[in-house]
Amino acid sequence: MSPEAGSTTVLLVGALLIRLVLTGDYLRYVRGGMGPWLVAAGALLVVLGVTGLVAAVRRRADVPVAVAGAGPGDPGGDGDGDGDGGGGGHDGHDDDSGGHDGHGGGGDHDGHGHGSQRVGWLLLAPVLALLLVTPPALGSFGVDRTAPGVRISSGGALFRPLAAGAEPVPLTLLEFGERAGDRSGASFGPARVRLTGFVAVPADGEGVRLARYQIACCAADAVATVVRVVGLPGATPARDTWLTVVGTYRGTGPDGVPELTVVDAERIPPPVDPYET
Amino acid sequence: MRPQPPATTPAVVTSSPSDGSGGPGESAGPAGSAGQWGLAVAVGLLLAAVGLRPVLAEQFARPAVANWATIFVAIAVQAMPFLALGVVVSGAIAAFVPPSLVGRLMPRRAVVAVPAAALAGAALPGCECGSIPVARRLMSRGVAPSAALTFLLAAPAINPVVLVSTAVAFPGQPVMVLARFLAGSGTAVLVGLLWAGLGDDRLLARAMRAEPESGSSRLAVFAATARGDLLSAGGFLVIGAAAAATLQTAVPRDAVDAFASSPVLAVLALAALAVLLSICSEADAFVAAGLRQFSLTARLVFLVVGPMVDLKLVALHAGTFGRRFALRFAPLTLVCAIAVGSLVGWWLL
Repeated sequence: MSPEAGSTTVLLVGALLIRLVLTGDYLRYVRGGMGPWLVAAGALLVVLGVTGLVAAVRRRADVPVAVAGAGPGDPGGDGDGDGDGGGGGHDGHDDDSGGHDGHGGGGDHDGHGHGSQRVGWLLLAPVLALLLVTPPALGSFGVDRTAPGVRISSGGALFRPLAAGAEPVPLTLLEFGERAGDRSGASFGPARVRLTGFVAVPADGEGVRLARYQIACCAADAVATVVRVVGLPGATPARDTWLTVVGTYRGTGPDGVPELTVVDAERIPPPVDPYET
Repeated sequence: MRPQPPATTPAVVTSSPSDGSGGPGESAGPAGSAGQWGLAVAVGLLLAAVGLRPVLAEQFARPAVANWATIFVAIAVQAMPFLALGVVVSGAIAAFVPPSLVGRLMPRRAVVAVPAAALAGAALPGCECGSIPVARRLMSRGVAPSAALTFLLAAPAINPVVLVSTAVAFPGQPVMVLARFLAGSGTAVLVGLLWAGLGDDRLLARAMRAEPESGSSRLAVFAATARGDLLSAGGFLVIGAAAAATLQTAVPRDAVDAFASSPVLAVLALAALAVLLSICSEADAFVAAGLRQFSLTARLVFLVVGPMVDLKLVALHAGTFGRRFALRFAPLTLVCAIAVGSLVGWWLL
């Protein structure tokens, strides 16, 4: 990778990190608390990229005819070859030129010279993926493929009873599942609760299976919690439709999935933060 | 990004030895045209990607592909702040720590240096991606490879952030934090001592080579080192993220559940899962807490192996230190981590 290409890549990655936070899209991939850190890392990368570009341009201006015979072994023009044909020379440390390692392993180099971080081109893959398609938040595909999110341990703290007021109590799917596991859902009482999730299985036993992921750091560690909602009015919603439902605790199904008797339901657009943290 | 044939002779000879700005890089003339080839290919790729956007969008609408892409991007994005911290530390070492200082500070004997490195690792908050450039820079500054490798393993395994997140993930079980600390530092020290006794430092020659004094300003050295480390580590991170996303998408996580009932198989299954999932060490405790069909010892092994050996790390090690090194180091570390994790689990849990 030439210094120009390397610096541009670093600059692009940094700018994209900042953009991800500004648009809020980062919440599809990592937990919200990482926002400031992504901005800080992005700013650092932008500075590194810009200073690298400035230095490279300045060098180009300073050394008008310094280089003789460009890397001739690069007729394919494979974009990165330029960092390589002269891997030794580019470093400007003539004492060990040519002895550099671009030949064996990954072909990277002690970061001091910018000559042959060929692998750095790969950083453009996530950049392109984000710019072109911006992958969606995790959906119903992975719900059954992760470990269940609800953890119940005997001897743990008990839930306080929910207040049965006029307004339904908003709960995460995770807390709903945990309360269902605590003394067979005794803490729900007659209270109405409001849950938000996406449809994971449209026809699931007597109802519809809603799901929501919990993430600890990023989408790679997501685990899903599921709730079956029974008595949904209207037509069966399609997979990955987001719903907010209000209802009362119904019990636990034969498959161990906690259930909710629905009194009211509404389709909603996907929430800004699709995960529960 | 295809492998390049070895250059028999350095093709470029600088005629200005006084150039002290860290390398002349691409310059005017014929070399400039080589640089423009790269630019042309990059622009061509970009145009092709934009042109293919509808096709790509259609592909990404398929649930499995979308799931893959989300996990791929998520691993890359979440690692960036940690990687940035790592390259800042690495750049600072290169720019501001003279090799002579390291020589005076570090104990000569491995028996002393290795445990000291494990303690130093415990002080760097971050996950595994950031500690690799730092360890490599330490080697180039003259730290014994065994001690630098111990630091590499200890930093992500037992730093305060990781221990706190373990305590949060296992409420009411503080012994899990203690077990993780002991097993993580024990494995790091064991691998370091084994490497000091049996390892071949020639495999690390590339990382150990001291950078020649370039005469550049310290700030320029700092920036160039940080940028270079970011590009190489970032590139290998992308490879690892792609591999981990592929396995997470292709292999359902409950595929390992069948092994939960046998104590020995459970340990091996969770060790394998840790390698394949490549979860950040600050988050793996939450996943381990959810794997409650497995014994606590098996989950401890999961927590010990994950920050030291996983797909993303093997890619990063191969890229940073060399493929032959990674092929020896990964199995060695894996065996040690499983053994120490099981032993500590059997003793404490």
